[in-house]
Amino acid sequence: MEYRFETIEGRSPGFYGLLAVLVLLILPGVVSTYLMYRHGIYLSGMTNRVPWGLQIIMAVYYIGLSAGSLVISSLYGIFGRAEYKPFARIAAYLALLLLIGALLSILTDLGRLGNLQSSFSHFNFLSMLSINPFLYNMYIVICAVYLWAMLKEHDLWVRRLALVAVLWAILVHSGTGAIFGFVPRELYQSPLLPPSFIAAALSSGTALMILVILALFRLTGRALDDLLVIKLGGLLGVFVIVVMYFLFVENAYRLYMAESREAGYFFLFGGINAVLFWGGLIGLGSIVPAVLLFHPQTGRSIRWIVVASALVVAGVLCERYLIVIPGETHPPELFRDWEIIRSPWQEGVVHYVISYHEVFQAIGVAALVAFLFILGLKWMPLAPTEARVSPRPAELGEGSPDGAPAA
Amino acid sequence: MDRREFFEAAGILLGGTACAYGLPLVAVSQLTAGTAEEESAAGGRRWGMVIDLRSCRLNCQACTEACRRENNAALHGDPRWDVHLIRKVQVRRKGAADAALKPLLLLCNQCDRPPCVQACPVQATFQRPDGIVLVDQHRCIGCRYCMIACPYNARHYNYKENPEWPNKDQPRSVHGVPQSCTLCVHRLDQGRKPACVEACERVGAKALAVGDLNDPQSEVSRLIATHPVRVIREDLGTKPKVYYIGL
Repeated sequence: MEYRFETIEGRSPGFYGLLAVLVLLILPGVVSTYLMYRHGIYLSGMTNRVPWGLQIIMAVYYIGLSAGSLVISSLYGIFGRAEYKPFARIAAYLALLLLIGALLSILTDLGRLGNLQSSFSHFNFLSMLSINPFLYNMYIVICAVYLWAMLKEHDLWVRRLALVAVLWAILVHSGTGAIFGFVPRELYQSPLLPPSFIAAALSSGTALMILVILALFRLTGRALDDLLVIKLGGLLGVFVIVVMYFLFVENAYRLYMAESREAGYFFLFGGINAVLFWGGLIGLGSIVPAVLLFHPQTGRSIRWIVVASALVVAGVLCERYLIVIPGETHPPELFRDWEIIRSPWQEGVVHYVISYHEVFQAIGVAALVAFLFILGLKWMPLAPTEARVSPRPAELGEGSPDGAPAA
Repeated sequence: MDRREFFEAAGILLGGTACAYGLPLVAVSQLTAGTAEEESAAGGRRWGMVIDLRSCRLNCQACTEACRRENNAALHGDPRWDVHLIRKVQVRRKGAADAALKPLLLLCNQCDRPPCVQACPVQATFQRPDGIVLVDQHRCIGCRYCMIACPYNARHYNYKENPEWPNKDQPRSVHGVPQSCTLCVHRLDQGRKPACVEACERVGAKALAVGDLNDPQSEVSRLIATHPVRVIREDLGTKPKVYYIGL
């Protein structure tokens, strides 16, 4: 069936109030970033033992979220699933913005932003951190062109570009996994990271799309067919299971191999890691959502699908923390038979304490992404007038097959 | 599809796979082969260091202090941000709680296959043909990926501006870039010994030696030939060029 897209009205006090709140959230991040640029990034919680902190966690998180959005968008473009067409534009736009958020997180984390031109003039083909920004930038361009094709209703190009975008997204996410997987560090080094990164990207991105779609349709009073959300929920459930499978294989390997057993224990049972892994990622972030999504009753309830999606979005944030931080706080084993007793430096297990400057930066980037998303809805016809699987009730003369129509 | 079409399609598929899949892998394997290794094998100089821990004194800080003055390494009084191009630690044999502490020096290993050079996104970390790994501070963007990639924790970052600038002949340590041992490359290039080696000789310990590993007559080559030596984490395949006697 045909869908019409329109801009949202964007004149209500609520609309401007939301934008104003977002601007207020962006400002502290700008100030913190300037202070770090001026005085050094000791203002963050990062140290010589933990050189990557919250901004890298957030960058990796955004990149993952972006993938899921794009896959939702491509369900129509590649697989011809017309029922997902209403979400295709929003999803592609969000994918683009999340990638920009990721790049901004990385940029605000640099110690010498003034030398940035060297990343163009002295490309290192061996560096994952050189290859990836290229992949990210191209991905932004591809998403933009894909979105443009959708806005112009070039259906053939939409299909072609959807395929290009999804293939490129696989490169982007494998590459991002390789940033961590391809370095000689006990809890990083792993060929499994690129594929497991894709899995976590799909689950968190799909979950975020469910939340964004529901918020948009509910807040602007658009009709949304429950069945669409239920189907997305089913998809999310599968992704969550795949993530759990990867986590199991990776950690079983670590515990099984004698050389990495100690590091594996640290990852699974060491202080904050244990809380985030078992409580955040496995318990609340995977098992509870999986049960909710596959249960015959809760799996068909929009309210519970929202709960499950929010849990997955939070759970994957824990997963991103666990990718970045434990590999740094765990000390490298320099000697087989000696232990370091005294040092002027931090040699053993260290702790990463997030500073408020970093939190401001992270909130700022998130608020900027939301700000641009809302403005985009006003300036571009991204939002569908309605999203239905089945014909309108009026045409059939009865209620929709899934019970009460969505409010 | 007849047989000809099938072979055509198969050919395109194979060719495409070779280009999209095989070529990057071949390129990576070629590019990762250490250029410095090849050049030094061709007969140039190849700097290395030997640390004789038997002569190193437990509480002596002569080398670390000399290094700090020479290279303007920042000491903020906070272990989170202090920059140690060479650091002295005290070690004990694992499982021997009452054994005596022994001194040990940790510094950049000047790997023949340096992970930091692979990792640097802007080629700011590079390796000279004589094997010394350096950071170009005017090119570095301060992303700290080299510190992530270094398995020895030898790279330290200037989180803060260094308030002091003792050696005006060397650049001031500005915030936002990492530093690691350069083997005092500015001194080696003038035919002088690194600051740590000089300081160690001055206190009479003579535990440190820096020289050309390709020259069989050099002090380091003779020490390596006549003593059992070890490098740190040989299993990683990074081929460190800092050799320890008595480790």
